[in-house]
Amino acid sequence: MKSFARRFYLFLIVLFLYMPIFVLIVASFNDSKILGTWKGFTLHWYRDFFENATMMNALRTTLVIALLSATIATVLGTLACMTMAKMKKSTKNIIVGITNIPMLNAEIVTALAFMLLFIGLGVSLSFSTVLIAHVTFCIPYVVLNVLPKVQQMDSNMYEAALDLGATPIQAFFLVTVPEIMPGILSGFLMSFTMSIDDFIITHFTRGSGINTLSTMIYTEVRKGIKPEMYALSTLLFVTVFILLFLVNYGPKSKSTKKHKSLTQLMFKNKYTIAVSVCVVIIVGIFGYQLLKDDKEYIGDVYVYNWGEYIDPEVIELFEEETGYKVHYEEFETNEEMFTIVDKKARVYDVICPSDYMIEKMLENDLLTEINFDNIPNLEHIGKQYLESAKGFDPENKYCVPYCWGTVGICYNKNMVNEEVNSWSILFDEKYDGKILMQASVRDAYCVALSYLGYSINTLNEDELKEATDLLVSQKPIVQAYVVDQVRDKMIKNAAALAVIYSGEAIYMQEENDALEYVVPDEGSNVWIDGWVIPKDCQNKEAAEAWINFLCRPDIALMNFEYITYSTPNESARALIEDEDIKNSQIAFPDNSVLSRCEVYNYLGTEGDNLYDYYWTIVGGAESD
Amino acid sequence: MGNKLIDLQGISKSYGKHMVLDDLNLYIRENEFLTLLGPSGCGKTTTLRIIGGFEKPDKGRVVFDGQDITNLPPNKRHLNTVFQKYALFTHLTIAENIAFGLKIKNKPKAYIDDKIKYALKLVNLDGFENRMADSLSGGQQQRIAIARAIVNEPKVLLLDEPLGALDLKLRQDMQYELIRLKNELGITFVFVTHDQEEALTMSDTIVVMNQGYIQQVGTPEKIYNEPENAFVADFIGDSNIIPGTMIEDELVEFLNAKFKCVDKGFGNNTPVDVVIRPEDVELVAPEKGIIQGTVTHLIFKGVHYEMEVMANGFEWLVQSTKMWPVGTKVGIKVDPFNIQIMNKPESEDEEAVGVDE
Ligand SMILES: Nc1ncnc2c1ncn2[C@@H]1O[C@H](COP(=O)(O)OP(=O)(O)O)[C@@H](O)[C@H]1O
Ligand SMILES: [Mg+2]
Repeated sequence: MKSFARRFYLFLIVLFLYMPIFVLIVASFNDSKILGTWKGFTLHWYRDFFENATMMNALRTTLVIALLSATIATVLGTLACMTMAKMKKSTKNIIVGITNIPMLNAEIVTALAFMLLFIGLGVSLSFSTVLIAHVTFCIPYVVLNVLPKVQQMDSNMYEAALDLGATPIQAFFLVTVPEIMPGILSGFLMSFTMSIDDFIITHFTRGSGINTLSTMIYTEVRKGIKPEMYALSTLLFVTVFILLFLVNYGPKSKSTKKHKSLTQLMFKNKYTIAVSVCVVIIVGIFGYQLLKDDKEYIGDVYVYNWGEYIDPEVIELFEEETGYKVHYEEFETNEEMFTIVDKKARVYDVICPSDYMIEKMLENDLLTEINFDNIPNLEHIGKQYLESAKGFDPENKYCVPYCWGTVGICYNKNMVNEEVNSWSILFDEKYDGKILMQASVRDAYCVALSYLGYSINTLNEDELKEATDLLVSQKPIVQAYVVDQVRDKMIKNAAALAVIYSGEAIYMQEENDALEYVVPDEGSNVWIDGWVIPKDCQNKEAAEAWINFLCRPDIALMNFEYITYSTPNESARALIEDEDIKNSQIAFPDNSVLSRCEVYNYLGTEGDNLYDYYWTIVGGAESD
Repeated sequence: MGNKLIDLQGISKSYGKHMVLDDLNLYIRENEFLTLLGPSGCGKTTTLRIIGGFEKPDKGRVVFDGQDITNLPPNKRHLNTVFQKYALFTHLTIAENIAFGLKIKNKPKAYIDDKIKYALKLVNLDGFENRMADSLSGGQQQRIAIARAIVNEPKVLLLDEPLGALDLKLRQDMQYELIRLKNELGITFVFVTHDQEEALTMSDTIVVMNQGYIQQVGTPEKIYNEPENAFVADFIGDSNIIPGTMIEDELVEFLNAKFKCVDKGFGNNTPVDVVIRPEDVELVAPEKGIIQGTVTHLIFKGVHYEMEVMANGFEWLVQSTKMWPVGTKVGIKVDPFNIQIMNKPESEDEEAVGVDE
């Protein structure tokens, strides 16, 4: 009875530990995109994964970094062990302690420390900074594995080699290294595993255009989980599992005498295998790189854009047509982007911030004027949009509009049986628990201030207080303040009303035709995201080529169809074949809508602080 | 035996404040089997490592075949070492171990193969080519270590307590084996041991060391029969060492009794140490002895009995083929030829202390 209980307990623990991974692995072979429904076995997520350029790129970066950092760490760590083994015991213990601390230190602390160090030294984050950080955190693992082997080794062996006529270098490579090879090998494998495994340190030290599998997964899942991710994660899990298995059950120096020669043989083979695998991977990677870059490569362009904000094919077309290699990176919020650019943590050539952020960047002197001689395609951009852009770029010198839209209400006709034309419906108790709000200060206050008839850029404290009270009083009937989930929830009929951007609305309508979108009569926000070139850009010509390319009508059309946000490119609009969309009031509202909308202005630090202050009151208020 | 092959001149060596060797002078002749004998920690290994080139002396010179090699690294010296723990390369096969030195010297493959065969035959381990080092027993590893060294045709083979880790039977076999090897190869052996029996069995010359000083150099017979000081006497075999006074030439007094001896030239009434080997003590009826005592212990040792006799406040160690039961009153007699007189140590350094084996 007791033993049954114990076994059951063990079973629960194993289940608890491995269930999530098991689910993930099963999902990676599931033909259905929807978790929980099994539609049959398939490998096509794996195929998709291998055909996905971004993922393969990340895979390559991961392997290169893992191999390089493991190799460098193994060399450095082994040399350190040779010295450490000769030290006095007390000194050695102190040194071993010091090398062990980074292993136990909270990873986030190490990561931040690295980032601060690099930025403090004025080193832009890049491939090398990731590599340096990885080498550093791998060295302790090498020491951990190699030092005991060095100490176990009879020190006379090295001397015996000298005695037999070997020079110190020959003795080291012919005797010492092979004798401690099991330790070196497991140190290398462990470093390799740790490097592949790492997310936090990579995330904080990576430069523009550098993505490893883990940081790539992190960026991708923010946009929604694709089944390729299951495939990738499964591969990652299996790889790490195998590596750890090799580390723990690999060649052991202590084996029974009888099987010694056999193990030795196996060890030799395994050693050869490990080396050849490394060689194959390295040759493969660089061969691939050579093939890929064989085109008329003329330079690099580092692009920083919102997630899911471009048709990936456009990037490929740009590379093919211009010969520039695009390093494409994504951000999630304007503020995140600002910190990176302002602190010069990573350097980009061309960025796509929103209106108010462009204003803020201008105020901080972070942008450089665009040479419009290089952007002949600007003629396709509607004059009224350039006019609106003057709200943040008064002379139209710094920014080329890319996408625009309004903030409005999306509602489900099956749940809302009345005409929607005012923000007031969001405060109607009838819809208790069926309202979704945007979890961003400005959008939340846009709703309240517009409803109250104030400017959405107000700095009047009374007006802000009033708006705050309104939001606080509304909170009990709000289902949630959300960032990304509006789409899914509305499509799945999980809410009746939501504050949403017009671009999202078009997509949502395609998925669920009960959904409607309106810009309330009280007015709202019109936003414009545009391409700007930062001051510390490395390749201005490339940046301008990029902007010009995106303004080409056929390209702008591809992006419009992919992103579904309104395009300011009138020639592109003219090319739209679907009449419904071409004339959609959501995508291209008439001027009456635009005229009642305002852009967000940059409010200055004090203004931001004021909004943030009131926003925390809303955040802290009782919900239901 | 030939000329001086190795000459250690005024060698001193310290580790930190610890002086291990102090002004050591020693020469080794060609084709000699020389043994460094002494308790552990006395500096034998250090001396050997200085000859091998693994340590540099703080002072003094190492001369090899007339050339100063004090600063020559080990890989340039024409001698090879068999290390205390063999130091076989565990990642290599036996054949690869033996071939190591030859490969470094880029010898042709056929030559190397011949040498491996020859060396394995010499150490009675033919057919072991493809075994791994640590699948072998201690004695076998020992012999491989020797094989690995001698294929390089060194002029001198340095062996550091090579038999220390072996059990008694194996040890005795290996002793004969080593002597045979030495004769077959016709090279110089410098052998380190703390086992006096081993040293007496194998050596042409024994160097007795203590605390970094040479106590006595000589043939085994000389060292055994005529120890120059109490340390040597005590360390080589069992001895009764008794403080006494040299009354005059050929007469010594100890334990309140006067004994005839054959030593001369110590002066009159000089304090000395008297050494008497246990097999040289004669037990007789009480009235026939010079002094009287009582048997306190008795052990049968195979070829003889070993007894302890309490007489005049000293516990005598006695070996005899005749058995005297415990409690028997006995008399003690010593033939004048078997009484060995030694000067008292002049300095503290020379004093025999710290025999921990
Ligand atoms: N590398 C070293 N560092 C410090 N002391 C040492 C070292 N090697 C030997 N010694 C000391 O030198 C003395 C002589 O050592 P060693 O020559 O090995 O003696 P033996 O071989 O006669 O036992 C010992 O007291 C030992 O502790
Ligand atoms: Mg020793």
